[in-house]
Amino acid sequence: MQTSLYLDRGTWIHRLHPAVKLFALFIMFWSVFWVDHPLALLPVAIVMVLLAQASRSWPNFYTFRWFLILMIPPTMLEWMAVYRAGAPIVNLWAIHLSRQALLFGFGRGLKLALLLSSSILFLSTTTIEEFTTSLVTFRMPHRVAFAMSLAFRLVPLFMDSALTVVQAQSLRGYDFNRGNLVERMKRYVPAVIPVFMGALRRANNMAMALEARGFGLGITPTSFIEYRIERRDIVALLALIVMGTVYFIVYFKGYAAIAAG
Amino acid sequence: MKPTARHPHLRSTAYDPRLASRASEGERDRNFADNLIEPAAESRQAQPAAEMCSVVFTYNGATAAALRGIDLTLNPGEMVGIMGASGAGKSTLAKCLNRLVPAFEPGEFSGIVRIRGRTLDGARVSDVSPLVGMVFQDFEAQLFSTNVALEIAFTMQQLGMPREEIVSRIEPALAAVGLTGFAHRDPTSLSGGEKQRLAIAAVLALRPGVIVLDEPTTDLDPEGKAEVFALIRELREQGLSLIVIEHEADELRGCDRLLVLRDGQIVAQGPPASVMTQLELLETCGVHPPDLNRALAILGVRAHAATVEDAEALIRQVLSISVEGTPEGAQWSPAHQEERSADDQTSLQWAQDNKESATCASDQEKTARGRANNERDGWGSSGSPLAEAQQLYFSYPLGPRVLDAINFRIGPGEFVAIVGQNGSGKTTLAKHLVGLLKPTAGRVLLEGRDRTTLRPAETAHKAGYVFQNPDHQIFASTVEAEIAFGPSNFGLSKDEIEGRVAEVLHAVNLEGARERDPFLLSKGERQRLAVASVLALRPRLLILDEPTTGLDYREQLRMMGLVRSLNRTGIAIIIITHAPWLVAEYARRAVLMRRGRILFDGPVDKFFQQDDLLRQSSFRPPEVTLLARRFGLAALSPEEFASAIRALAETDKS
Repeated sequence: MQTSLYLDRGTWIHRLHPAVKLFALFIMFWSVFWVDHPLALLPVAIVMVLLAQASRSWPNFYTFRWFLILMIPPTMLEWMAVYRAGAPIVNLWAIHLSRQALLFGFGRGLKLALLLSSSILFLSTTTIEEFTTSLVTFRMPHRVAFAMSLAFRLVPLFMDSALTVVQAQSLRGYDFNRGNLVERMKRYVPAVIPVFMGALRRANNMAMALEARGFGLGITPTSFIEYRIERRDIVALLALIVMGTVYFIVYFKGYAAIAAG
Repeated sequence: MKPTARHPHLRSTAYDPRLASRASEGERDRNFADNLIEPAAESRQAQPAAEMCSVVFTYNGATAAALRGIDLTLNPGEMVGIMGASGAGKSTLAKCLNRLVPAFEPGEFSGIVRIRGRTLDGARVSDVSPLVGMVFQDFEAQLFSTNVALEIAFTMQQLGMPREEIVSRIEPALAAVGLTGFAHRDPTSLSGGEKQRLAIAAVLALRPGVIVLDEPTTDLDPEGKAEVFALIRELREQGLSLIVIEHEADELRGCDRLLVLRDGQIVAQGPPASVMTQLELLETCGVHPPDLNRALAILGVRAHAATVEDAEALIRQVLSISVEGTPEGAQWSPAHQEERSADDQTSLQWAQDNKESATCASDQEKTARGRANNERDGWGSSGSPLAEAQQLYFSYPLGPRVLDAINFRIGPGEFVAIVGQNGSGKTTLAKHLVGLLKPTAGRVLLEGRDRTTLRPAETAHKAGYVFQNPDHQIFASTVEAEIAFGPSNFGLSKDEIEGRVAEVLHAVNLEGARERDPFLLSKGERQRLAVASVLALRPRLLILDEPTTGLDYREQLRMMGLVRSLNRTGIAIIIITHAPWLVAEYARRAVLMRRGRILFDGPVDKFFQQDDLLRQSSFRPPEVTLLARRFGLAALSPEEFASAIRALAETDKS
């Protein structure tokens, strides 16, 4: 089974310096963070589509399509229930539906979808080694950076073993989806224990193999792949800074606020 | 752990990791191939490649020592094989050589370990990594990188080796394991055998003094196994110092020296010819003795046969048989086909060796034997099928086709082995039978009813599935609760559940473990517990996915004794396996799969005649089968071979 989202396409995005890619991820989060209005989020969405096209990452977006789509409606519903400002279009018991609530809810859903999209984009174009390098560039100790990037590798393995465990228990007649939310959570115990025990065993094997292969010697590891700052990195960096600044100004000046009425 | 306190004189040999890399720097002028061939030319006269003196080790919290006074010397260029049951101390011994014991696994350690004359006392695991290369059984857990080249570079990077040096070592290492051209591949996209070869390449690139392989092929399919052992033989020819740990003795016949471990002690050692003929000792130590030697021993020949040819020559000499067979061809004498009915006798003999399984069989045996004998007349079953796949197609979304027009049926009381390389569709087919996967096209019938119309409770009663890894289903805090979990999901009464728990505990011979914590059981016991918890649902068809993988010989016999006794009570069995001897000795029908298609479906003896098909799947017939052919006989087990050859000797004389 495939254990990472990385797609080896060799596009100019793939070839960016790992630190620039991590910075890009940060700027996407930053930009999305400052604004609420869906229209203000639209440029980020467009950038995301262009980048996905340029890096040919669509297969991963396809894998996550339902997550991306389903993020919006529940978020909208949730905000309709709690957002109280604006003139109501519908006012039924707990539901106070205004144009603002709709816009705000849609904006929030879009935000979540964009955060997920930028993460997919990052993981589609960045190898685990590059991720480690990028963290080290931002002064994270090598050991910690390596451990963090290793975690990304482990998640799909655990997902795989969780799937097998769920299959094994359901063949023994176990129904995971019975009762209310709390009961359901409790009902996952027969799956959680085997997955957890398996994870511990695997982590132990991995730690052993890591040490046996010289990890933790205390010597600064040779960086096998040499990352040079190219012109495209400078251009990308400038563009990202401009984008981040513009979004902060938009927020500061209140351009993207959702107007009452 | 107080090694230094106990051996204060050792402290003077302070270990410097940089010394190691400096030592390898000295060798850098020579090219890689030279290093492979003569890795220890200068040290050949000087020091052993590895040395252990009176090593004793007890894991923290354990009552008994895992190693009890191990003395071992590995000479440069030597290949030593280590065998023994699970828990005999094989892996612990291996871990001592690279300091995983006691630096990673805490415990009470005493004794001396030296690598090329350098004492490891006080060193960290990573310090030893350039000196001792270790390849683990779990190949998924030892690869960390996104491409093959980076994987090989990993340790060298950690050692801080100059970049140019790393680059210059990658290609030769890949070439040495036959992975040239794989540098940019993602390791997760490799087959099991390729992954294990990559792990070996990563170790070779360091030019270590010693390479330790801890059950490198246990989790591999026959093709992967063959690849890895071919590589090991090559490394041996190049003069590397190797320690290989294995369950199966067959593969270790090429070693210079063999060691048998039991309860942390070396109970036998010497050249293969002297160790392999001590059959009783090997069996009591949980090692599967080579079938050729077993066949010879039954015929009263106390000699070692390293190959089928050797065995043939020995037998011809002792029994003075002149009849010529057909060594390569698949010509079988039909007169000997009936020998297969001797199967019951041989199986009984094995069951007697393994008394527990004989007892669990005995209960239902009397009633079931008659039926089993009738069924043995034909390899199939005359009854209406328990499970049936009709024109089954399956592919994952956006993925390639995994099952391609499968037609398969299994009737009551059958014993079917499904074999084929990893990825051939065996597990996918089995999962369809129990409804874990939905066919892309075609349908699955359980006792004549479309599986999609059945409720889970009905499915569970018709077909049970035991996963390859028992730890994928064990979660309860006692053995009893684990078994009761299934029946309680179907709302059975307390008395009924209690009755079933008692019944299956008896069947799998875990009565004494009723109150124990499943996580503290041995792997073999956990595997039997997994079978018990599925049996508690009383399925009429039981599917076992690689039930013997990772078990030692004794546990394998016990497991298969259990499966056979269940089959005798009328439960139909499907096992998915990679072990030819298991198919030969237990199954009556074999199904060979390749690339999602069934290539062969028929009786086991016919199956082992399909030379071309078997070769394509790297599936070797048991050696006794090949030996029998040389005399024009048919045999699937040493016992069958012995009785057939005796009969032949009689007729030859008269």
